[in-house]
Parts: sequence; C-alpha cells; structure tokens
Amino acid sequence: MMEFLRKLLALFTLVAVVGSGSLAQAADNSGQATKKEAAKDLVLKGDAKCTECHDEADAPEKLAIGKTRHGTVADGRTPSCTSCHGESDAHVKNPQGGKTRPPVEVAYKGKFTSSPQAQTAACLTCHQGGNRIFWQSSTHAGRDVTCTSCHEIHTAHDAVRDKAKQTETCFTCHKEQRAQMAKPSHHPVPEGKMACSSCHNVHGSNPKQLARASTNETCYTCHMEKRGPFVHNHQPVSEDCGICHNPHGSTIANLLKARAPFLCQDCHASGGHPQQIAGLPDKRGTASTPGTVVMGSVGRGCVNCHTNIHGSNSTVNSATAERFRR
Amino acid sequence: MNKTMKQTFKLTALAAALATVYGTALADDSEMRQLTKPDSSISVGIGNWSGDRPQQGIYDDMGKSKAYGLVDMSVVKRDDATGTWMTFSGSNLGLDTREIKAEWLRQGDIGASVQFSRTPRDNPLTFTTGLLGVGTAAQTISGTAGANTLPQREVKLGTTRDMTQLGFYKSFSPALELQVTFKNEKKEGARQWGLGSAAYFLTEPINSTTRQIDVVLNYAGERLQLSGGYYGSWYDNANTFALGTIKGAAAGTTSSPGTTPLSLPLDNAAHQIYLNGGYSFSPTTRGNFKLSRGTVTQDESLPRFAAPSAHFTPAPTSLDGKINTTLVEAGLTAQPLPKLSLVGNLRYHDVDDKTPLAGYIGSNATLVPTVYNTPHSIKTKAAKLEATYRLPEDFSLIGGVEYKTQDRSAPTVGTLYVPFVRDLDESTYRLQLRRSLSETANGSLAYLHSKRDASDYVLTNDAEEDAINPMHIADRKRDKWRAVFDWAPAEQWSLQFVVEDATDKYSSGSMPQGLKDGTARLYSLDASYAVNDDWQITGWYSRDENKAKELGSREHSNVSASTNELARIQKEANLREVGDSFGLGIKGTAWSKVKLGGDFEWTRSVTEHAQSAVASGTGAIFPVNNGATSSALPDITNRLVRLKLFAEFAVHKHADVRFDLVHERWRTDDWSWQFSNGTPFVFGNIADGTTVTADAKQQSTFVSARYIYKFQ
Repeated sequence: MMEFLRKLLALFTLVAVVGSGSLAQAADNSGQATKKEAAKDLVLKGDAKCTECHDEADAPEKLAIGKTRHGTVADGRTPSCTSCHGESDAHVKNPQGGKTRPPVEVAYKGKFTSSPQAQTAACLTCHQGGNRIFWQSSTHAGRDVTCTSCHEIHTAHDAVRDKAKQTETCFTCHKEQRAQMAKPSHHPVPEGKMACSSCHNVHGSNPKQLARASTNETCYTCHMEKRGPFVHNHQPVSEDCGICHNPHGSTIANLLKARAPFLCQDCHASGGHPQQIAGLPDKRGTASTPGTVVMGSVGRGCVNCHTNIHGSNSTVNSATAERFRR
Repeated sequence: MNKTMKQTFKLTALAAALATVYGTALADDSEMRQLTKPDSSISVGIGNWSGDRPQQGIYDDMGKSKAYGLVDMSVVKRDDATGTWMTFSGSNLGLDTREIKAEWLRQGDIGASVQFSRTPRDNPLTFTTGLLGVGTAAQTISGTAGANTLPQREVKLGTTRDMTQLGFYKSFSPALELQVTFKNEKKEGARQWGLGSAAYFLTEPINSTTRQIDVVLNYAGERLQLSGGYYGSWYDNANTFALGTIKGAAAGTTSSPGTTPLSLPLDNAAHQIYLNGGYSFSPTTRGNFKLSRGTVTQDESLPRFAAPSAHFTPAPTSLDGKINTTLVEAGLTAQPLPKLSLVGNLRYHDVDDKTPLAGYIGSNATLVPTVYNTPHSIKTKAAKLEATYRLPEDFSLIGGVEYKTQDRSAPTVGTLYVPFVRDLDESTYRLQLRRSLSETANGSLAYLHSKRDASDYVLTNDAEEDAINPMHIADRKRDKWRAVFDWAPAEQWSLQFVVEDATDKYSSGSMPQGLKDGTARLYSLDASYAVNDDWQITGWYSRDENKAKELGSREHSNVSASTNELARIQKEANLREVGDSFGLGIKGTAWSKVKLGGDFEWTRSVTEHAQSAVASGTGAIFPVNNGATSSALPDITNRLVRLKLFAEFAVHKHADVRFDLVHERWRTDDWSWQFSNGTPFVFGNIADGTTVTADAKQQSTFVSARYIYKFQ
C-alpha cells in the first residue's frame, strides 16, 4: 500500500512538473501558490481578510499604507483594514453571489460613500485626542468635511501635511484665500515657508479655527514684539491684528486692508492733518522740516511719522510719544 | 523506474520547484518592499534666474540674477521589528531658505526631533541714502548741506529668522502621552522705519530672540479625552531704543531734538496653563470644555534720556505691565433625533490689562500728568447654537445663531483721540442648504446676517473727533451670501462654481464720518478634466472685487498760509479693488518613463482711489506744503504672469532627472514710492535726501536641472 502511494505521488509530481512543459508554466503554478499565500497578512495586522483580493495585483496603491505610521505594525496601536472600513462581512462573503459585491461598511469615496459621521467616527476611534478633541464642534465637521476630504491615508506622502503643498488641499474650498495669497503682500505661504496650519487648527473650534484662542495670541507666536503691553498702546493693535491687516494677502504693503491715509481715517477724524485728503506730492518741499499735510499717502503714509504704530514705550515727555512717533 | 532514476527525477523536480518558487519569492519581496516600505530620495541640482526679481523673491532667497544650488533630501528608515523611525529631511539646502529636520521615533513609545529653519525676508525696495549706522541703535541722517551731507550709497534692507526647534515625545500607555516642543528663533536685520518727527529715513534695528516652550500631556480614553499643559513664551530684544540724529542739527526742542530717541519693543514674557477636554456620552452626544489662564508681563526698565528728550519726572521707571487672559468654554454636540444634529457652545474670554495706571507725560513744573499709559481690557461672552437637519436626497438644512457681547474698557484719564465704547453686542444668524455625498452634484447655498450694536460711548469731547465711529466698533449690519456648486457631468469632468457676496452697512447716526459701506464679491470657477489615466488638465478663474466708501472732513481751524487749505472740505472716498486670477495646468505621463507638466498663472489687480470733495472757501482742495503740491491718487495695477514647465525622466529604476523652466513677468505702477510726476520719492526736505526706488518691471526666466536618486 505504501509503495502504491509513493508511486502515485511520484506520478503526480511528474505530471505536475514535466506535464507543465516549461518553466514558465511552472512559474504560473508558482504564482498560484503565491496567490494562496496571499491569505497571509501583507501589510497590516489582520489584513489578509482584505488583501486576499486587494493584493499587489489588484490594488497596489492601497498597500502604500505600509509606508506610513499606520503601517508600522510594531506599534500595537496601528489599525487593520477593518479598523477603518468595518468588518464588512457582506462585502467579503458576497452572500447573494451578485456580480457586484455589497460595499464595505465604511466607504470613503465612490457610489457607496458612508455618511460624514461614519467616516470621521472611524478615524476618531484613535485620533480623538490632542488638538482633535473639539472636532465635532468645529466648523469643518458642521459642513460635512471628513478626515479624508483633506487627508490621504494610503500614501506615504499626505500632501496636506506637507507645508509646501498644503494649500492645494485648502484652496479646494477656500477660493477667496487663494486669490488673496496671490497678491503682492502675503505671508510666505506660496513660497512654502508657512502653511495654513501655521495659524489655523482646522480640527479645532477656536474662532476662525485659529491655532490659539484669539487672533492676537496666534499672531504673537511669530510677532511677539507686538505683544506689549506698551506704555502707549494702540487700542486696535491690542484688540485684534485683523482690524487693520488681512493675513491672507493684500495689494498694499504689510498686509494692510486699506492704504494710508484711508485706513487710518476709518478711526481718526480730526480737524488737523489726520483728515487730509489723500494726494500724491509732486516733489519734496523746500523747508527745513517736511510737513505732514502732503505725506499721508506717499511712502508709508501716516506711518512715515507715526513709526511705532503698534505701540510705543517712549518716555519722552512730549505728546509725540503718545502718538506713536517715538 | 529504478532507484537512480527515481532519485534523479525527484531532485530535478525539487530543483525546478525551488528555483521557480525561490525566484518568484525574490521578485515578490522586491515588489512588496517597493510598495510597502518607506521611500527616501536625494535631489541635487542647479538652477539659474536670468534676471533680478526683488518683488517675487522677497521670501525665496532667489531675488538676484544668478545660479542657485538646489539640494533636497528625505531619508526615511524604519526598523519594522521595533517600529523605530530614523528620518532626516532637508529642503532648499542650497538656499537661505533651508530647512533641516532629524527625528528618531520608536512609534508608540518615545521620540525626539531637532529642526532648523531659516526664513529670510528681503525688502524689494532700494534705498539710496547717506544714512550711517543702518540696522544699529545709533544712526545718523545726512544733514542739510556742506560738511553735514553724507555720501550716498545703495542700501538693501531685510531680516532673517533662524528657528531651531526641539521636540520630545513619550507615550506612557496607549492613552497617555507627553509632548514637549521648544522653539528658539533669532531674528536679525533691519526694517524700514522713520525718525518720528517727520518723514526722515531711518531703519529699525532688528536683533531679538523669541523662545517658546509647550509641554502638553494628552490623555485619550475611549470616552474621555484630556489635554493639559503649560505654554511659555519670551521675547528678548537686544536694543531698548535707538537714537536718530540729523547730522549737524542743533539740540532743538522736545518735539524736534537734535538727537531723537526712538523706543523699541521691550522684553516681555507670557505664561499660560490650560486644560482641554471632551467626553463622549454616547456615539452622538459629546461634551467638551476649554480652560486656560495666562499672564503676559513687561517689566523691563524704561529707557530715559537727557533734555530735550527728558522724561516726566514722576513717571515710573518700569511699566510693570501685566495682562491676564482667561478662557472658559463649554460645548455640547448631540443628535437628539436621527436626522437632527445640534452644536452648542458657550465662551468666556477675558483679556484683563492689570497694568498700573500712571502718568508718563505732564508738566515737570507742576508734576501734574496729562498723558497716562493706556491699558485696554476686553471681556467677551459668546453663545452659539447650530442645528443641522438631514433632508431627503442627501440635502441638509443648517441654521445657526450666535450672540456675542463685549465689556470693553475705555480710558478714564488722559486725552482721547477717538471715541470708545464700553459695550458692544453682535448677533449673527446663519442659514445654509447643502447637498453632499452625491457623486455628480453637490453644493450649498448659505446666508449670513449679523448686526453689531455699540453703546455707552466715551467721547473725546472734540466735535471733529467725535464725528467718527471707529470701524471696529461702529454699528454695522452685514449680509453675506455664499453659493458653491460642485458638478461632475461625466466621469472625466469635475466643475466647481463659487459665488460670494458680502455687504456691510455702517449706520450714520450722530457720527457721520468714517467707513459707511463695504462690499466684497468673489466669483470662482474651477475645472478639471481627466483626458485619460495618464493626463489631467486643470483650470481656474476667479474674480474678487472689494469696495469701501468712507466719509470725512477737514475743518477751518487748520487753514494756514503754508498749506493753502480750504476753510472746510467734506470728502468722500470710494475705494475699489478688482482682482482677476487665471490658472491652467496640465500634468501627465508620456511613455512610461517620462512625466511632463506645466502651469500657467496670470493675476491682475486694479486698485482705484476715487475721491470727491465739497469745498467751502478759497484755495486748492489738495494741500500745498513748502512748495510741494499734491494731486489725486492714480489707480494702481499689478500684473503677474508665470509659466512653469517641468519634465521628469526615469533614467534608472532608482533615479530620475528633472528639468524645470519658469518664466515670470511682474509689472506694477504702484506709486507708493514715487512723486506724482513719476520720479522716485525722496525723504526729508533739505536734509536726508534718501531716494527710494522700486523695480516696477521684473522679467526673469529660471532654468534648472536636478538628479533625483530614490532608494528605500
């Protein structure tokens, strides 16, 4: 009996190898063997359930998740496919045997896209902490923006987390800011030295989704010299930088919302030179001291003389000090 | 079959099977590794700009016509067994804008990073000046004539920020982690400034250091999340003041001394502790809170000077400035009905300036102060409620209301130059209909109305100054519309339309001057077309228009022979700015080893400064000063055209060669630094003589080649 089995095995092997006729055929057979091996996890813990079908031949781009923090399986917190897409047994087993399988339980794009709440819930299972505590209260969440509206999960390079490329994502919706950022005076965002997220926490619920509790607190992280307090404070400076500046861009130098003297004249009415009519002088004067009445528009406008417009610490015993000229 | 034959057959079959299987395994390993393991790359190249581009090169360190080294790298290594990452990245290493970061991280356990970033800012203007001591704390302006006239030379101004950042991360458990970030930024250079008394050219010496540390402990449980920590920041300025002297000028008076002391920002520090939290009562109901308390101090000794710039004798030697900031916030999100979601929020934000009030200007004879320091406090309380109701066909209706009320401080002593208010209320109502989740057509239509009311005015008691209501506290009604429509008419096509319209109306009442109306409109169209799997075309056009109407007046008390002004002018300014932007991009793969792409960008902005004046009396509407006569402001047009092309060739499995071509044209007729006849602006009248020139037309072409080596 054993001899018979040995002969049967030999015959089977002979058929299997010689009958194949070529190494190429053998390679095909080997490929089938590999296919069976795909039942093992390819990238993530427990991904065999999915990668049995969605393997390197079917969806190679999906496997790029292995390049990311999500794909670092040594970190016990990292997910499997089903952590984000749900167990999706109906999709896997296709119990109806239909030509088109039922969708996965949580889909992030396509015809069967899940609700925004379902999508973000999957991410928040792990990412609710830190600066995402307030996601549910954020304007983005309230407008059906989901994590994958901005983030790419199955790629080594999530563009929105790249300072140099982030605006491509943000400008998808924020067209006004795109137009402003192209103006001559702007923060170095187009140059890639800053990103929208340098000032905004888009996962948060602060006013204007700023990174800190107020406009000024946010601006002070880079412009701390404006923080004061000064001996002579300029009230709107203390209140909100955005009263005079448009941080996203302007045609006027220093991100101003309007050109001097117009901007200054939105607050300062006076019988004197503060209400001078805006005009461009034809030349400099001939007296020993330049006057003020023709200097409010040219150069830096009012700031030609009111040099410390953000606040002054002058102790000079003169009204020139309180008017930000010292 | 004999024994030998059997053995031979077995060995042959086994060898064949092993060879095929082993060979395939190697290929599979290689392929899988390429697909799933982190990538690294090193890019080395050289590029050349053919012409100077001071305006476009403000931040990119490529303002000069010359060759630049282009070096970037990203080396990412991961030990899969331990989950340990070693990364080193560098960008713009051949430029002054370089950034370097190195990080070691055992994911989920512990990590540390160090980062360096340099951000230059080059002023695009050229100053031809005799000023001595540019960027220092003692500067001398060219005098009036003869020996006091200083030789002129060209000066360029700019600043550099060097930021070093250290980061530390430690995970104590899957739910508890510590993050520490420390930033040190050194800022140096010189910024355009002024003497203060009049339009003389001076430079602000920039030599400061800021330090920030953020220590945060994050807890993220299944239902409860907490984030608490300490944020400290310090500003240190190397100079507390700068002296400006007009060479040869006499000692003069307090308002016009021979040597003028100019104050600089003094050292300040801030400390903040905070605790944020959220708790999920159920999958759809969540509460959150924010608590923070911070203090800003500025207590450096105030610089004092000898006559004629002497201080007010009783004035304190230090401001002892202190501002306390408190934030208390609580929010709730809930879904009381399957189709109804609610978001509610209460916020209390108190900026309380506790700086002691003291006189800083006054009579040294009577020791009676007339001018005091000006602490400003604002307490803001806000409540917000927003409801979203899900309608059929993926429509949602969103309604929201927000109420904000402010208690604002107003100076109680000293001189006021503008009206203040003690109370400011604003109510905002939102309504939005949106459709999402559809594959072909999504969009939203939103309307916002807000009304701001001020009360309890503190006036200046000057009829002219009280005739204006400052724009940030003036009563205002705002109406804003926003329509967005995303349409994918076919699989290859994607279109997006955006229209925004905002209107502000400022009420007149007893304060007729100031900002009256404002409008902002935006029209935008984006389109993308996938020609096939390899090629995609994108295009966009947007037009933004902003308008503002301001009223003002000058009154008779300021008429003088030297200014030849009218007895009274009632003036109206209608400011308008229109911006047009157009972009077109194409990107694709030609053959299998060549990537090609191009972007065309065209932007134009036109700013108009229309003014009208109703005059009484005789004389010119535009003032005359010591021989200089002003005239109406011309429009300003800025234009930028930029064409970018690239080609990337895969010369090897692990190497690409990339060529870039950028052609850029910038043109402006901005008159900011010109006199009305088009000649460059000159500082001073008899003294100084610093001339400012702006490069109004810039045209340059950039050509570069890079070799990119990729590895894992």
